[in-house]
Amino acid sequence: MGSVTLRNIRKSYGPVEVLHGIDLDVADGEFVVLVGPSGCGKSTLLRSLAGLETISAGDISIDDKVINGLEPKNRDIAMVFQNYALYPHMKVRENMAFSLKLNKVPKDEIESKVAKAAEILSLTAMLDRYPKQLSGGQRQRVAMGRAIVRDPKVFLFDEPLSNLDAKLRVQMRSEIKELHQRLGTTIVYVTHDQIEAMTMADKIVVMKDGHVEQIGAPLDLYDTPANLFVAGFIGSPSMNFMSCTAQGGKAVLSNGQVLGAAPAGLGEGQAFTAGVRPEHFVIGSGALDAPVTLVEPTGAEIQFTVDIAGDHVLITTRDRVTARLGDTLNLSVEPGKLHAFDPETGARLGGV
Amino acid sequence: MNRRSDTWLAYFMILPVVAAVLAFVIGPTWDVGTLSLTSVVMGQERGFGTLSNFRALFADPVFPTVVKNTAIWILGGTILCVMTGLAVGMFLAIDSKMTMGLRAIILLPWVLPDVVTAMAWKWMLHGQVGVIGDYISRMGLTDGAISFLGNPDLVMWMLVIVLIWRKMPLVALILCAAIRSVPSEQLEAARMDGANGWHRFRFVVVPNIAFSLTAVTVISMIWITAEFTLPWVMTGGGPANSSQIMSTYIYQQSFQFFNWGVGSAMSVVNLVFLMTVVGLYLYINRRSWAAGGNS
Ligand SMILES: Nc1ncnc2c1ncn2[C@@H]1O[C@H](COP(=O)(O)OP(=O)(O)OP(=O)(O)O)[C@@H](O)[C@H]1O
Ligand SMILES: [Mg+2]
Repeated sequence: MGSVTLRNIRKSYGPVEVLHGIDLDVADGEFVVLVGPSGCGKSTLLRSLAGLETISAGDISIDDKVINGLEPKNRDIAMVFQNYALYPHMKVRENMAFSLKLNKVPKDEIESKVAKAAEILSLTAMLDRYPKQLSGGQRQRVAMGRAIVRDPKVFLFDEPLSNLDAKLRVQMRSEIKELHQRLGTTIVYVTHDQIEAMTMADKIVVMKDGHVEQIGAPLDLYDTPANLFVAGFIGSPSMNFMSCTAQGGKAVLSNGQVLGAAPAGLGEGQAFTAGVRPEHFVIGSGALDAPVTLVEPTGAEIQFTVDIAGDHVLITTRDRVTARLGDTLNLSVEPGKLHAFDPETGARLGGV
Repeated sequence: MNRRSDTWLAYFMILPVVAAVLAFVIGPTWDVGTLSLTSVVMGQERGFGTLSNFRALFADPVFPTVVKNTAIWILGGTILCVMTGLAVGMFLAIDSKMTMGLRAIILLPWVLPDVVTAMAWKWMLHGQVGVIGDYISRMGLTDGAISFLGNPDLVMWMLVIVLIWRKMPLVALILCAAIRSVPSEQLEAARMDGANGWHRFRFVVVPNIAFSLTAVTVISMIWITAEFTLPWVMTGGGPANSSQIMSTYIYQQSFQFFNWGVGSAMSVVNLVFLMTVVGLYLYINRRSWAAGGNS
């Protein structure tokens, strides 16, 4: 069992508050990813959960037991650090056995646990090496092995893949996900890479400036972002935003052209920010004419940058559209794929 | 052809240094070595190739005292110096306003000349007029003033205390720097792994600073073995040879009693000891040197 509950977590460094009341529920066995721009407080929140930072207010509980005052070692949580934090003077075997040794686990039990973890992570051949004799990906696996042998209630990962090159990152991403499916242990994972978040998470927590912006399943966040920030943060390439007014159920651009059907629930004449993802434009059928300013074929798809009412708007398509620079595209938005946001507060408007 | 002349040029360039080392290090060492094997009577050399100096040294009734005192001085001094240095270094490594100030002023004992330190402590520890004895007796801890340097049982330890006062600060600073460079993630990982303060010190801090720790131990040992001014000015080996250590005894025998045979024999014993220490150090650190200093 390992369900985690955070209630109104606040954390201040001196007079500066960096977490402004975070609420979060993590179910047992869930893979939760904290994502957000640099400096938004992801690491601080994770470290508070680990007990490496003391929180200024709020309650942290695991399995309904409040653990605010507990030392890290008594929380039954294991953490994997960004730069691995392996003990350089210990062999891989000793690194993995360290916590068990401190907890006075019998020798043969330590040995079997280490052997099992090493097998899961394909580290068996490397048990007698020192960390500096390993590659980055192998070190990362040792760091995970050190967490696995303890069989904790919760695993914490703080940007574990950011020191690896792109290819290895993709590989380790699936390894971690497999590991989660195999062990079924609750994981809280921090990253600032939204693709990592989308591909790995059962549940994503989007943070900004010490606030939670939205919590939800990856596709929920993608389909119904709660505000402008989440809409722009989740998805790659990111969503296009244009200023519109609602007129007769249509979203009308500042130059009078019609972008598409406005979401229900907007008042007549109401100004709003329309958001459309690049892949939700339909080319070749519509009332919207837009001149092409840039064409970027990537192979699998083509990216067009077009000019809509003075804004640069990115459009992607999998069709072999042959439009070239200077041509005009005929566009419409897929029904129901036009999001509306309040231009001032950024909150989502209307119901989709 | 070009290679050859380059090699000769290289030899030529290091010639001055080689000459200086030969003249001021190897030469005197060689002289002391040969002198120790030569019997000298009244300043006249009387025959080479004898162990009579060493026999005389080992027969000298003061010699066992000197060996015992030197052991206290070198081993006691080094161990206490490194241990207090480590403790003070751990404390200085904590981040706070106070430790930042302390880090700056702790080197004060180091910048004083040896003679000044020795004289100051000699008078502070003086039996009749010393402030320390006076203070202790006024607090009512003792009946009268203690003669710290006059008491044969105390004097060696008093010298060691002054030695530590003088040598420990640099040890503490070097270890403080080493401790502060221990990666904080390793300490945090250890906390997550269930390590208490002692475990973190023993299993994370000490292995990470092992290189500095052995270096500082050997360097202290060499300093302390070579230290002469402090004991000589404070006690001159007295009272009645009870604080006589190798360096003071060598000086006394050679330059006060002109007993060069015994003096040189003792110097050779001293040299062998120092070379053993350095050899041991290089052996312990052989892996680290190859690895470029870390781990
Ligand atoms: N020890 C500290 N003292 C003061 N402020 C701190 C301290 N640690 C972090 N902060 C501040 O808290 C805020 C959140 O930091 P945090 O490390 O949690 O960000 P993050 O979301 O993990 O960013 P990144 O993606 O760059 O790792 C930052 O504005 C940072 O400046
Ligand atoms: Mg961070």
